[in-house]
Amino acid sequence: MSPFPSTAPGAPPARHPSEKGGDSSAADAREGRPSALRAALRPALQFVSRGIYGQIVALALVFAIFAVGTGGGYLSLRNVLTILSLAGIPMIVCLGIHLVIIIGAMDLSTEGVISLCAVICGFLIKNSFTHYDIGFWVLPVSVAIGALAGLVSGVLSTAARMPSFIATLGIWWVAQGLSVVVGRGNSVKMLDPRFQTITNGDTLGLPNTILIALVFFAGLWVMQRRTRFGRYMYAMGGDEALARQAGIKVARVKVLVFTLTGAIYGFAALLLSARLAATNPRIGNGQLFPSMTAVAVGGISLSGGVGGALNAVFGALIVVALNDGMVLMKISPYVQNAVNGIVLILAVALTIDRRKIGIIK
Amino acid sequence: MGEPVLRLRGIVKRFPGVVALRGIDFEVRPHEILGLVGENGAGKSTLMKILVGLERPDEGEIVLRGRPVVLDGPETAIRHGIGMVFQEGCMIPNLSVLDNLFLCHEDGFTRFGLLSPRAMAERAREQLAVVGLTDLDPRQQMSELSPARKQMVEVARLLWLSELYQAQNPTLILDEPTTVLQEGEVRILFSLLAKLRERASIVFISHRLEEVVQHTDRVYVLKDGEHVGTLERPAPDAPAPEVPGVVRLMVGHELSAEHYRESMQTEPGQEVVLRARGLRKTGAFRDFSLDLHAGEIVGLVGLLGSGKEEVCRCLTGAERPDGGSIEVRGQRVRFASPKDAIAVGVGCVPIDRRSDGLATTLDVADNVNLLVLRRLLAGPFLSPRRERESAEHWVRECLIKAPSLRTPCGNLSGGNQQKLVIAKWLAAQVQVLILDHPTRGIDVGAKDEIYARIRTLAASGMSLLIMCDTLEEDIGLSNRLVVMKDGAIVREIACAPRRKPPPVEVVSYVV
Repeated sequence: MSPFPSTAPGAPPARHPSEKGGDSSAADAREGRPSALRAALRPALQFVSRGIYGQIVALALVFAIFAVGTGGGYLSLRNVLTILSLAGIPMIVCLGIHLVIIIGAMDLSTEGVISLCAVICGFLIKNSFTHYDIGFWVLPVSVAIGALAGLVSGVLSTAARMPSFIATLGIWWVAQGLSVVVGRGNSVKMLDPRFQTITNGDTLGLPNTILIALVFFAGLWVMQRRTRFGRYMYAMGGDEALARQAGIKVARVKVLVFTLTGAIYGFAALLLSARLAATNPRIGNGQLFPSMTAVAVGGISLSGGVGGALNAVFGALIVVALNDGMVLMKISPYVQNAVNGIVLILAVALTIDRRKIGIIK
Repeated sequence: MGEPVLRLRGIVKRFPGVVALRGIDFEVRPHEILGLVGENGAGKSTLMKILVGLERPDEGEIVLRGRPVVLDGPETAIRHGIGMVFQEGCMIPNLSVLDNLFLCHEDGFTRFGLLSPRAMAERAREQLAVVGLTDLDPRQQMSELSPARKQMVEVARLLWLSELYQAQNPTLILDEPTTVLQEGEVRILFSLLAKLRERASIVFISHRLEEVVQHTDRVYVLKDGEHVGTLERPAPDAPAPEVPGVVRLMVGHELSAEHYRESMQTEPGQEVVLRARGLRKTGAFRDFSLDLHAGEIVGLVGLLGSGKEEVCRCLTGAERPDGGSIEVRGQRVRFASPKDAIAVGVGCVPIDRRSDGLATTLDVADNVNLLVLRRLLAGPFLSPRRERESAEHWVRECLIKAPSLRTPCGNLSGGNQQKLVIAKWLAAQVQVLILDHPTRGIDVGAKDEIYARIRTLAASGMSLLIMCDTLEEDIGLSNRLVVMKDGAIVREIACAPRRKPPPVEVVSYVV
């Protein structure tokens, strides 16, 4: 027994530490040793227990409702694969945004940055407009442009000490504007079929986009669980002032996180264009809202520090499954929007930590 | 007892308008538990902040194991083996215990760039055992721990870091560690500290003097930024120094009568303006009854945790009591929010005027008129002329020195800000004013003006309830003192001019 029992006031007084050790066997017997089975299951339980029970239930609920609503058609293998293939890109975007949310910041630049990356990429691969053809080298270029945009957001919110939602709101419109200027508002056809084959193809029966998303998930998951950088992100989300006091170089971590998020946008931009085999300056439109909803629905607290890559994956799945179901049930797109809005509000209401926010603005 | 581990010489620290430390000499000897006491504002926290590098001294030097050092942050301090457990704690709530233990110093636990949770958990268990937390799962989230356990995890981290940096005999500073603990936990804390002294020196800060004299080897007393004495226990088994002796040093001997404008003190009227009966709030105070007369100044005295803060919060409507009644001029009132209190004429000058008392981005005139906008209407609109007249009147009345009525009040000095807060309440024509540390962070000249203002308010029939920075101030200003201890009123003491009770007598009821 420890000298500091975590019991509530009124519990029997704690014993003197010098008494400890004498009757440790008795204490063990009282507290009950975990069974071998529980010990064996522990890693699995821990994996699940970091707050995604609710998400599993929500996903099951979505499936149950639409299974009934569509008379079983929703559960067909074809529809499930459709959901997975639709979920890939939103999942990647969401995995990008959630990094910024975890450190307690906000990123609204998603749509603009994606459009800008896509438009520039459109001109660099074999296309209907220019003579460039850099093939797969376009991938690092797109990622770099996204990363640069993220870097600027990060620097604005640290060096210039601006609230990140304002800095990224600005970057959104700057990037959006640039993408129209660069692309002169045109829609550009991509003439390199390899990109489309990859994004719309399957491997072992699973859509490639979801597999790519899972690779991102795995990388970020390891980063969050097993690297110092990951720990620092959570520490900052928990309490930035204390994190700084503990010696974390808060500004550097913040800039890196924004940069990483931007890089992921760059990647997603390329997938989006490849899926359509065309780019235009509006290609990023409509990416922010579902990702933000997915972040919230996945149980990632908008106040920071809670939730991780697994939550992002589940959040994206739930949002995509919900929208797929509504389409199958031929629900009006306007009603769909309203439903998504309600889902976002409910999810935030359930996950935000109000103690951290003194005055709500 | 050997050479001191840590020695401060001639430390001076000035803040705008205040000298917090006036040439302090301070030393920590190896393996000792040193008690540090002083009233609020005596300079304890400034001294500690200097020790962990959160503040830099303006003059003086810090000598560590015989070598002068510059401490420019907690990071540096801990490298030299000086660490502090802050009252509010500095562990990150959403991380696990082991993450917190090793945060920012994980180098020993990486393999191919990845952290090894197993190695960390193992090391964490060892380290937690040092502070007696043998049954704590290091994977538990920090926010789930009791305050006592959080403290010990912090101590474990500091010990680990000083070991990591090979600092011999580290110095651990504990700021009011016992205020958040249950009685049983306090005992355990002290027995642990007694063990830890074999490997560290401990500086122990507390308002509970009984604890301090019982459990420390020396008691270092600060008053008004000066070292006024050290009470030493000659041998570990010698009797502890007496509490009254410590108190005498803390509060000083006599009152300087004219200091508090005592000659302006008036007899209160007969009418009871504010009456509280049997007020209680679970966990804070119980059975609080008070009659506040017209023109009376009552000083509410007690230690941190005596319940006086909560009493004030209940009387101003910031909190709701669990039971009891409040009457204002014979009318039973219930405050759901400060707005209700203001409606019946109860105002509050809060301790933190910048965050609670003023809208710092608004200008002087707006702040003065904030509560009385209704009276400044011309039809449905605010009349700029009436706004200006009202503001001018109160600025003149309260001797506020501001460049113009349109100066944002964030730019005013502390003293003028405080006068502005008072002006706001005068404009609102309150009958009762509750002043929470009205002179905190204000320079001497402005303090005197505030004292004079408090006197004239009382003379004009306003009732005031005050809680001051120092006991002297409470005694000096009040007509009557109400002493609280552990949530209950223990004593009322009359404070007629020229017959003020000596601080030592008052303190004997407080502790």
